[in-house]
Amino acid sequence: MSLVDDPRGALADLTRPEAWVLGVSAAFALFLFVSLLTGALGPSYFLFLVGLAGMYALLSFGLNAQWGFTGLINFSVAAFFGIGAYGSALMTASSSPIAGGFNPLVGLAVALVVAFVLALLIGIPTLRLRADYLAIASLGLAEVVRLIVLNERWLTNGSGGVRGIPGFFQGWPVLSTFPEAMPGLRLEVIPGSPVLLETAFWQASLNVLLVLMFAGAVYFVLHRAHQSPWGRVLRTIRSDEDLARALGKNTYSFKMQSFILGSLIMALAGVFYTHLNLYVGPGDLDPITTFYAWVAVILGGSGSNRGALFGGIVIVTIREGTRFLNDAAALPIDPAPLRLLLIGVVIVAVMRYRPQGVLPPQRELIWPSAVDGGGTPDTPESGVREQKGGGGDE
Amino acid sequence: MSEGALPKEDAVLRVDDLQKSFGGLAATDHATFAVERGTITGLIGPNGAGKSTLFNLISGFYEPDGGTVEVNGTDVTGMEPYEVAEHGLIRTFQTPRKLEGMTVREAMLIGPRNQPGESFVNLFARPGTVAESESANLAEAERILEEFEIDHLATQPATDISGGQMKLVELARAMLAEPEVLLLDEPVAGVNPTLAKKLKEQVRRLNEQGTTFLLIEHDMEFVMDLADPIVVLDQGHVLTEGTPEEVRNDDRVIDAYLGGGT
Ligand SMILES: Nc1ncnc2c1ncn2[C@@H]1O[C@H](COP(=O)(O)OP(=O)(O)OP(=O)(O)O)[C@@H](O)[C@H]1O
Ligand SMILES: [Mg+2]
Repeated sequence: MSLVDDPRGALADLTRPEAWVLGVSAAFALFLFVSLLTGALGPSYFLFLVGLAGMYALLSFGLNAQWGFTGLINFSVAAFFGIGAYGSALMTASSSPIAGGFNPLVGLAVALVVAFVLALLIGIPTLRLRADYLAIASLGLAEVVRLIVLNERWLTNGSGGVRGIPGFFQGWPVLSTFPEAMPGLRLEVIPGSPVLLETAFWQASLNVLLVLMFAGAVYFVLHRAHQSPWGRVLRTIRSDEDLARALGKNTYSFKMQSFILGSLIMALAGVFYTHLNLYVGPGDLDPITTFYAWVAVILGGSGSNRGALFGGIVIVTIREGTRFLNDAAALPIDPAPLRLLLIGVVIVAVMRYRPQGVLPPQRELIWPSAVDGGGTPDTPESGVREQKGGGGDE
Repeated sequence: MSEGALPKEDAVLRVDDLQKSFGGLAATDHATFAVERGTITGLIGPNGAGKSTLFNLISGFYEPDGGTVEVNGTDVTGMEPYEVAEHGLIRTFQTPRKLEGMTVREAMLIGPRNQPGESFVNLFARPGTVAESESANLAEAERILEEFEIDHLATQPATDISGGQMKLVELARAMLAEPEVLLLDEPVAGVNPTLAKKLKEQVRRLNEQGTTFLLIEHDMEFVMDLADPIVVLDQGHVLTEGTPEEVRNDDRVIDAYLGGGT
């Protein structure tokens, strides 16, 4: 990122929405920081929220790799998330009705393999057909996976869910005992409201470390893929699949790769969730997760990785913020409907004023070193994206 | 009948007894013809004669009901479009295809076939190779845009340029795929005379450099000037084939265009 070598130049390069998002994010971070210092927001809970934000970011990354890149309509985000969550839970938990007790890395691997196979199975019959077939099939898949989890007690423990899940770093040197080994800290920045950092805090910070690793790795992969000829073929398929075919691209294979990649990322979000929450149940496969992921991607800007990250954070803010608001202001309505209302308002506002999303893909997407070689154009870039949204290609 | 009558020794494309019907309508009706390597072959016929359908059959977009298509001596009947493209045949579409959110040169970069960077694994395993080929392709794209005298459009949004410029970009992009035979569906429809002239020069120049063309066009002046031989299609079958002179003076062709049928 050029922000480091040339901060002023980088700031001047920002488009208006980018600057706007940066400003709001900074204000929001400041607000969180003050809440932390005054003790209004518990530090462990805050880190839990960061973990949750990372999880939603992963889900939106996954959906973005399918819908944003290639235009694949996947309504089974919750199913792949659930596969990841249950896959790792069933492999690692002490109460697992099947294997159980394995190292979380084994759980991770199993979850990814199962998600891979499932993506392949659903992709083979649908990806050769028109886009709507995948949409319909995935809608069915989500329900099938949820019902299997709910009803196959021998496999999943049914409605009881899976308990006794270890933290992800259990069994690792140093990290497995890190939370207990850390001393409890007491910070008193504002007299009278001390901030306590205890075992739970260190445990939560490990989770944050984990999600940062996951999300960081995924972002790195997607960012590179997006700028590559591979990503360019996907974007061509999204705009006009026949054109890609006419130019000799095996679009079926590309769609399959994009679908599998996205599904694996969603499963990764599920794996993280398992070790964050330490309990998974059939309720975790409710379609609301799919809904949130779609909102996050559309809100952030389809096709944009930064947008997906932004959208994921907004979702968590709304999801948890409504809870907070309710406690603080004792609103006469329940947080759950308030949450959906807020999300509805946000969607309507975005669709009305910024149909391309808040942070649509910004730059011309060419492998960076190739562009640096030739003369870098700096003129019409923002214009490209601005008018793209005007076309309303969603 | 004189269909496909001219002797073709070195045919880059051979269409034999091709058939396709939609419901009761025979859109392609036992069509047979060949495209000789190195030529610019014209394909004309009244609206609805089945020209675009023929392109779709040849390039693998439609599955024929019968007959065969050969590209470079290989039978490509029933193959996927990308496989046909791999055998050296590239086609464009009658309506220009827009690529949302891409710049012109970005849209050009889809052209080159089998780029190392189209493999997901290579992006991480061999980033150096990917970068090299991307640089080379970008340079090549910019060179072709220059030859087409539209290099000033390189960083414009691909959806912002005029219909005529879009046709030029499509032709330029198709050239990046290095086809042996290029099928153009109405390359100058809706293009102003100046750009059409430019397009004609480009096609001629590329042909001299070795690319074979098969082009559909309603603009008679354009086809007659550029193409030789010309294949005339009517109601799905090949009515005749000949030099522009022969075709122009053929009564059956005139009849077909006046809507009389054969
Ligand atoms: N996918 C399709 N389904 C049904 N009918 C079709 C289809 N494609 C083409 N046709 C019909 O086949 C006939 C030939 O169409 P085609 O588009 O090939 O004609 P054309 O020679 O390209 O005409 P034009 O010069 O107007 O482009 C027309 O009657 C058309 O309606
Ligand atoms: Mg046509």
